[in-house]
Amino acid sequence: MPLRRLASLLMVAVLGACTARGGAGPTAGPAQVDAPKSPTEGVVPLPNAKGSLKFVVLGDFGNAARGEYDLASRMARFHQDYKFDLVVLVGDNLYGSERPQDFKQKFEVPYKPLLDAGVKFYGALGNHDAREQRFYKLFNMDGKLYYSMKAPNEKVRFFMLDSTYPVPEQIAWLEKELHDTNEDWKIAVFHHPLYSSGGRHGSDLKLREILEPLFVKYNVSVAFTGHDHFYERVKPQHGIVHFVVGSGGQLAIGDIDKRSTITAKGFDTDNVFLAVEIAGDTMTFNAVSSSGTIVDSGTIERRKQPGDAP
Amino acid sequence: MSNPIRILVAVGLAATAMAPACASDPAPIPVHRTKMAVTPTDEQVAAQFDARMKDYLVLHRRIEDSLPKLPKDATPEQLDKNQRHLGELIKAERAGAKQGEFFSPGMQTLVKRTMDGVLAGPDGKTIKASIMDENPGVPNLSVNDRYPDAIPLSTMPPQVLDHLPKLDEDIEYRFIGKRLALIDAHAHIIIDFTDNVLP
Repeated sequence: MPLRRLASLLMVAVLGACTARGGAGPTAGPAQVDAPKSPTEGVVPLPNAKGSLKFVVLGDFGNAARGEYDLASRMARFHQDYKFDLVVLVGDNLYGSERPQDFKQKFEVPYKPLLDAGVKFYGALGNHDAREQRFYKLFNMDGKLYYSMKAPNEKVRFFMLDSTYPVPEQIAWLEKELHDTNEDWKIAVFHHPLYSSGGRHGSDLKLREILEPLFVKYNVSVAFTGHDHFYERVKPQHGIVHFVVGSGGQLAIGDIDKRSTITAKGFDTDNVFLAVEIAGDTMTFNAVSSSGTIVDSGTIERRKQPGDAP
Repeated sequence: MSNPIRILVAVGLAATAMAPACASDPAPIPVHRTKMAVTPTDEQVAAQFDARMKDYLVLHRRIEDSLPKLPKDATPEQLDKNQRHLGELIKAERAGAKQGEFFSPGMQTLVKRTMDGVLAGPDGKTIKASIMDENPGVPNLSVNDRYPDAIPLSTMPPQVLDHLPKLDEDIEYRFIGKRLALIDAHAHIIIDFTDNVLP
């Protein structure tokens, strides 16, 4: 169809322009974000380049209800075309009781196709999660409430934080870890959003006071969070792009404050996961709904420090 | 605070800290000191709290060590069995435990005064809102109860944690409604609680 073809060409042009902008030279400025208009009908998985880091962000999912199962099926279908290696969890992995049967119904059964395909899930804990989840082998937390992990490819490090109980030791650990690691991409993953337009929860201002200065100082480019039960991409704040991906299970339809001035894109009428791809200095993202619609997409150029290679 | 009292408290804490080593405990129990004590009486109250917490940790670790070690790649069955077994054994050893053993009247006053101070600042309203987020509370609570499965854990703002006495990783403060509870996060049981900490 000519119109669709034109849209595709336009998309390629936009992505190309973004990539070119990333090569403009070292800057210590904000992450650059560009998002094509959305929603886009039909699933068109990212650039899907060979050798890139491919992962999915999922949050607030473990309720064993239909919404979770439908989205999990969509993720499995998506994986057939887009071979992501890992899923990072922003917390609220299991709601309610956590008996062995709950682990099955709320996690192991819906995500079985992905687990069978070798996709690894990395947990962060939310306020509904028992602390013992850190020992659960399929959440790969190595017994830790907070930890960092290097991605299997590309120069990417995830900082998985425990935002329900941010003891001073964790904050000190985070600062040291951010200081001592030198990956190009520093990505924070935790439950409570520093920025959110949610009516029910919204931005966690006290956590923001503590974490944001560290993120700014140590060049974190992106933060993935949840807690509010919808999808939101926030306009870059102090150079950092914040996502709320609490859209994996029970939805809070209509909870996004439409008057919010920080929303770049919000979506709260269907379950959503966020597919992400990093190649070099560019991150591409597609927010995919249960119905298969890409409800948000775009590219982000990582933050750079003086002295980074252009 | 006068120097002799400070020295006395320090010596007491040091002696307490050495006790587990003398008893050949494999993992030393850290002894923490609170920031919130401002008078000699506060110091005594806080030292008593820290000492009781240390005793609890000795108990916790002794029982934990008697159980099969939980691997870092545990199955849900292992998690559930270990947690419930630990909880039952601790409850049995503390069968006569009563509210107020950790949050003694003096400690209750200290905690309430500390929280009043934290909440009196310009950010008090925001801090309280953060604590009360998804924190419906429960009508009745007892020491040794299992932490209710259906109730989410309250968020503990860093500004609050920074003012309360430091705890070992297995023990946490959580608000349950307006109550402040001490939770054994591994055994999922309530060690103690104090009412009406929040206005």
